[in-house]
Amino acid sequence: MYVLGVETSCDETSVSVTIDGKEVLSNVVLSQIDIHKEYGGVVPEIASREHIKGITYVFDQAMKEAKIEYEDLDLIAVTEGPGLIGSLLIGVNAAKVISLNYHIPIIGVHHITGHIYASNIEHDFEFPLLALVVSGGHTELILMKEHFSFEKLGETQDDAVGEAYDKIARVLGLPYPGGPVVDKMARDGEEEYHFPRPMIDSDDFNFSFSGLKSHVINLNHNMKQRNEEIHIANFCRSFQEAVTDVLVAKTIKAKDQYQVKQVIVAGGVAANSGLRQKMKEQITDVPVYFPSMKYCTDNAAMISAAGYYKYKKEQKYDDFMLNGSSRLEINKEE
Amino acid sequence: MSKILIVDTATKYIYLSLVIDNHEVQSIYQEGINNHSVTIIPFLDELLEQEHIGLQDLDEVIVGVGPGSYTGVRIGVTVAKMIGYLNNIPVKTISSLALIASSSDAEYVIPYVDARRGNAFITCFKQVNGKLDFVTEESLEQIETYLEQFDFTYDFIAEGKPNANKIIQSNLLQDIDEIHELKPNYLRITEAERNKHGNHD
Ligand SMILES: [Zn+2]
Repeated sequence: MYVLGVETSCDETSVSVTIDGKEVLSNVVLSQIDIHKEYGGVVPEIASREHIKGITYVFDQAMKEAKIEYEDLDLIAVTEGPGLIGSLLIGVNAAKVISLNYHIPIIGVHHITGHIYASNIEHDFEFPLLALVVSGGHTELILMKEHFSFEKLGETQDDAVGEAYDKIARVLGLPYPGGPVVDKMARDGEEEYHFPRPMIDSDDFNFSFSGLKSHVINLNHNMKQRNEEIHIANFCRSFQEAVTDVLVAKTIKAKDQYQVKQVIVAGGVAANSGLRQKMKEQITDVPVYFPSMKYCTDNAAMISAAGYYKYKKEQKYDDFMLNGSSRLEINKEE
Repeated sequence: MSKILIVDTATKYIYLSLVIDNHEVQSIYQEGINNHSVTIIPFLDELLEQEHIGLQDLDEVIVGVGPGSYTGVRIGVTVAKMIGYLNNIPVKTISSLALIASSSDAEYVIPYVDARRGNAFITCFKQVNGKLDFVTEESLEQIETYLEQFDFTYDFIAEGKPNANKIIQSNLLQDIDEIHELKPNYLRITEAERNKHGNHD
């Protein structure tokens, strides 16, 4: 099955063609990151304007690289949410036009299921499976007992991990996006400060990062007031240690409780080297998979993959009323 | 046989028209509730179905590129851009304000799209034998102040079903040389960009 994937939920315009969500024939990503950098974060109206500028070009590149014609497609999978609404609508409507133009069935995909299925492109899922989804907008632990079945075990009660990283970077005067920069600094630093590990011992699988974030911001502020020298790399390292300790501890707890056969880490923060290392060190009884870099950040191959398995599971398509939705639950059908 | 599709979603009304051999054979002009994104493709499907044709049978698309609602105008422009690109057919652009104005037969027409707090995307057209021409450039204005400059009588309208005949013959249509370049006419840079430039002053 040739599956076209379309992803425009944030600041990446991406189109991909896969065969059965496994063999990636093309995965074109037009990133706007350099534009939003100047504003210290993604500006929704600018993101929408950039998507519409690039949309046909990205489709064209993806089809040329895949060396197939639109007529050959069997399924169109498009991110319907969650995300920036103005951005989502461009991808959804572009995808619906292709569907109408060539009478190819279309299916709406939850963005997070895409991040999870990014892992299946490189390593076949084994169930039950535990997914830690960590990105700028999400921090969730999800249990999968079979393909395209998602049980949310826990999630952040306030900030997403990626959000906390961006905030810390801003406070320390580091550029946006904060994740990669703080990660890089942390590699050269030592854990000089001891930051709290919020909820690390709580009975549930939920997370909280706003308290940690405030703690870090306050310490930075107080040290500045006292004219104390702030060792930025050590600050980053201490913050990263605290965050990854919590993420890994909760993941291990869920892994043991549900006796999973595989752990996957998905989303942009899966690119974090500190998290990768700690996961691999502390989880040795089952395989832990991190998607390669190109599948960690937003891309359409993962949407194509999720769309294929969603169709296989549910055996039904969406109709032309399909719309974008900024807030969308992962189990909306149930 | 020439088959032209006209699309506009820059206002609260969605407008779709199918013109075959210079006659509007099907059209939809309907008020939406911020849902052009949901309705445009079902409406389009219905329109084509009535004439037993598909998107691939179209020869040309005319699209209203604004000014108007930013999110709204992008729906229609995305659809027009994709149709033009997929089928390799010409896409022509027209002012969404001209589409509103085409509904009137007055000599002077001032169409506007509400932009809140007494502001509007607005312009003035002079109409001779069904041909609209700009009297003023399109701009974002305080409505009352803007209207003070005119001492003639005019039709002041925010809605009205566009006249497809006038549109296909309009000299306000603009060709797009490269489909990938097609984008809305927002008239304004974003607030974020304005603030940034402001900081540099
Ligand atoms: Zn994402």
